[in-house]
Amino acid sequence: MKRTAALLSLLATLTAATVTAGCADTAEQTADPVSLLVAGTPDELAAYRALAAAYEQATPGARVTLIEASTAKDLMTKVSTSIAGNSPPDLFLINYRNYGQFAVKGALAPVTARLAASASLHEQDFYPQAMGAFRWQGEQMCLPQNISSLAVYYNRTLFKQYEVAEPAAGWHWNDLVATAQALTRDAGGRTVRAGEPETAGTPVAVHGLGIAPELIRMAPLIWSNGGDIVDDPNAPTRLTLDTPQAREVMQDFLELPRIGVVPSDVEVEAQDYEARFAAGKLAMFVSSRRVTTAFRAITGFEWDVAPLPQYRAPANILHSDAYCMTRTSANQDAAWRFLEYALSDPGATLMAKTGRTVPSRISVATSAAFLSPGTPPGRSQIFLDTIPALRPVPTIATWPEIEDATGKVLENAFFHGDPLDKVIRDLDAATRTVFERGAASR
Amino acid sequence: MTAGLILRGVHLTRGTIPALRGIDLTVARGELLVVLGPSGAGKSSLLRAVAGLDRITAGTVAIGGRDVTALRPGQRNVSMVFQSYSLLPHLTVADNIAFGHRIRGADRRAAADRAAAAAASVGCADLLARRPHQLSGGERQRVALARALVREPDVFLLDEPLAHLDAALRTSMRTEIRAVHDRLGTTTVHVTHDQSEAMALGDRIAVLRDGRIEQLGTPDEVWHRPRTRYVASFVGAPGMNLLPADGPLRPPGTAAGAELGVRPEHVTVIAAGSTTDGAIGEVERVEVLGEDALVHLRLGAHAVVARVPARTRPAPGDRVTVHVADEHLHAFDAITGERIPLPAEAATR
Amino acid sequence: MNRDRRQLVLMLAPYLAGLALLVLLPATATMTMAFTHTDLIATSEFIGLDNFAELARDPAVHAAVGNSLSYLAYSVPLRLVLAVGLALLLHRRTRGAGTARAAVLLPGAVPELAYGLMWLWLLNPLQGPVNQLLLLGGENGRTMFGTLPPQWLTDPEDARAGIVLMSLFTIGETFVIVLTARLALPPEAYEIAELEGARAGQVLRRVTLPLLAPVLAVLVLRDTVASLQASFIPALVVTNGGPPPYATTYLSLVIYQEAFEYLRYGYAAAVAALTLILTVMAVLIQWRLLRRWAYHGLAGMGTHRLWG
Repeated sequence: MKRTAALLSLLATLTAATVTAGCADTAEQTADPVSLLVAGTPDELAAYRALAAAYEQATPGARVTLIEASTAKDLMTKVSTSIAGNSPPDLFLINYRNYGQFAVKGALAPVTARLAASASLHEQDFYPQAMGAFRWQGEQMCLPQNISSLAVYYNRTLFKQYEVAEPAAGWHWNDLVATAQALTRDAGGRTVRAGEPETAGTPVAVHGLGIAPELIRMAPLIWSNGGDIVDDPNAPTRLTLDTPQAREVMQDFLELPRIGVVPSDVEVEAQDYEARFAAGKLAMFVSSRRVTTAFRAITGFEWDVAPLPQYRAPANILHSDAYCMTRTSANQDAAWRFLEYALSDPGATLMAKTGRTVPSRISVATSAAFLSPGTPPGRSQIFLDTIPALRPVPTIATWPEIEDATGKVLENAFFHGDPLDKVIRDLDAATRTVFERGAASR
Repeated sequence: MTAGLILRGVHLTRGTIPALRGIDLTVARGELLVVLGPSGAGKSSLLRAVAGLDRITAGTVAIGGRDVTALRPGQRNVSMVFQSYSLLPHLTVADNIAFGHRIRGADRRAAADRAAAAAASVGCADLLARRPHQLSGGERQRVALARALVREPDVFLLDEPLAHLDAALRTSMRTEIRAVHDRLGTTTVHVTHDQSEAMALGDRIAVLRDGRIEQLGTPDEVWHRPRTRYVASFVGAPGMNLLPADGPLRPPGTAAGAELGVRPEHVTVIAAGSTTDGAIGEVERVEVLGEDALVHLRLGAHAVVARVPARTRPAPGDRVTVHVADEHLHAFDAITGERIPLPAEAATR
Repeated sequence: MNRDRRQLVLMLAPYLAGLALLVLLPATATMTMAFTHTDLIATSEFIGLDNFAELARDPAVHAAVGNSLSYLAYSVPLRLVLAVGLALLLHRRTRGAGTARAAVLLPGAVPELAYGLMWLWLLNPLQGPVNQLLLLGGENGRTMFGTLPPQWLTDPEDARAGIVLMSLFTIGETFVIVLTARLALPPEAYEIAELEGARAGQVLRRVTLPLLAPVLAVLVLRDTVASLQASFIPALVVTNGGPPPYATTYLSLVIYQEAFEYLRYGYAAAVAALTLILTVMAVLIQWRLLRRWAYHGLAGMGTHRLWG
């Protein structure tokens, strides 16, 4: 009630005040440090700390202050409240799916001119698919740090044990399902069909496949099948999942639990896909590059990555984060100097070595720093091979809301088996107004 | 006829402190016994032992010929009025009086009728709809009385019910308690620390000291023949003057080592020189109490208080002759405090 | 203005200033914000009642109103019953009472976020201790009563029950207040009942509860006001508003998500306004129901009246 209301305003004010205070302190220093706001797991945050330290060492007198957020959403809050408090960080790292509204509202400083004038960074150093995702009305709004995509992580030891052929490039969705069936086993190693815990006879020891029922997981499959998820990717007004191409993919996807190759909702709540895979209880797991760092700690079995299966043509979805500079930053020159370092060969190499990113810088992506011979995954090249087939999600300021809204419907449909027509109707109903609001803010 | 209440060898310990140390007491059916003593003497403990609110450590309690020692308070059929908080604040006067009957399952109508009757009997019928916080202190205790009466208890226990009332109200309420008792004839134990209340109210008085009964007797007995030095000094306002037997007052036949007592009311003060019979003293201070005055005298090394008519009082600094008639002298053993009969006493009987 | 009054104002001034600056001002700002489109990035724009019109059709808000009211309906009475029960059980000085009192207070001392994370583990459907315990004595993954164990994180009803369950262990403050109130009750009231031969149930119903009524009524109101917010951390940490779509989406969570995840501060303010209205309504209804009951009680004992 009143306190909620007050809390809301207070939180905003306080967050802003904290950031202001931070800046006021540092303003007294001789060289203003560049503030960089990042979100991520402890691993990822450690990587950025290392990057900042390397930059400070390489550039005498330069200083970088890292502001850490726990999640991508937390980061968005911090950015918006600090902009409102008129003391934004100089730089922040954001996924292109979330950057839309900051670009629309003019909160970002375009880097087109700086890039053109730069002696060390050039547009052609980066994958155009990643650069394109951060272009807004002809301006390069942010510079991509990575160019990730979906891949199938697989437990190679299990494949060998059960003599199942490892996935090859160009494999079909049906091949994925058949492979998953062959790998869903009980404790005795017999193939079984996974089901709801109340109906399952024998408990499943290994599930064939883990894939989150999300729109951004289905999208590349729909594209591969020649369909699309929205009416106009550049100015979407609604979902178009009722096309035959989209329906086929949705049907196949939502059937996975009935086929009996994926863990149930209860099992996922008890132990999520990532932990399941790491525990050797999941044969295949569809995810982006970001889980690599965690999986490199696996010692119990061998694992690798395979390309995302396809329907008719290769397709994949872009996952990319970029460094964005805030328009009201008082320290843009220093921020740019940091960017030049962070995206240079040494800077990008440092981040590539953490394993979590596919570097946006071509020279580093094709180097040993990323391809990492001798360190899993052995087939990192597949992340590069898929780049020509990458597509971004539709450009709309309310995209994060659309992901959340569709996620709720799809999770229910996936685990509880709603009829396809209802699912498509529900998805449309849940997103129409969000599209409208997104369109209105363009 | 069985006694209303009998206590035999009752001991009660609070924590580690003994509160009652061997009480033997018989209260006749229909008698109003006042338990008198200073705070800490064990008066309330005695009541609580009878009510069963505190468990006694030794002895027996019998009410109306029925041994209730092992019974819970609710099974003893006793009523109690406390110093304060004698009413439940969330209930109306009517509901407070009816509370016990309702608890024991009487129907609402019958309980209300009896409550109304009980309220009428103590003159608070007009208060039935009010709540305790709307009553004056006197009205509250009157209602508490009705609440206690309505049960028609075998024993009626009053724990200093007048202590929190102002002086005038206290006097009128005690008359009322006495009147109610005389009308209903319920065996009653009334606890007080006020000796005048005890005198005015009791059929008999039990003077309590350190958990023991120091004296049990009628008000007259307690007044005129205090059994111990303690009773003598506690009863009376002010209490009895106590002087060594070899002091200024020397009646015939007292053993050395005894102590003599004389009530202030029995000390005669005459202007010095008008008679040779008596001791010479000096007036130190005079307190006028309306009709009477308390004269604080110094007789050699001893202080003596005399109660004299205010009209004939001496002035401070006056030298006076102090006289006490032999029949008004009491003697106590200086060591045990026990009363020692005097020849004069034997003569008055 | 006389001297007393001036002193009163002077002494109240710091509090009033704080109240105005830290509560009234932000609250007014929020209420104003409810009529705007505000994302804290661009300048906000006045949009009249649009936010409220959207709110009326928003399925998340519909679900949240229902969930919040159901949380209130279960959590508030259960918490009170539990706190009163424990306070009456532990008000005597007996062996172990001190330890037991501390145990009741302890969960309230755990930081909310940590408390939520702890429950995330406790309620884990397969490995969680709660379900492990329920499975004791049963076989084939069923409890000893032959039922399936609750699916705390995936079944809507069970998830809501889980959130209420979590709230039942943070009753320390209520417990202490009831305990103190009980200790302040005059022993004579109990002795009167004892002398009349009242049984334990009668004492509870006719003496203890009526005497505690004013305190209990205040606690009910306080808990009601708090409960519309208290569901926030567990819903965020343990269930994140799910199972989908909105099984444990409470108003507080909607406010959080709209403001801090979708940067729709104006809309969030409108939801906050709705929450405020609901709270005021709940309090008014309870006040009407409780007023008569709570009026007396301690009033006759010389304590201040809590109800005017």
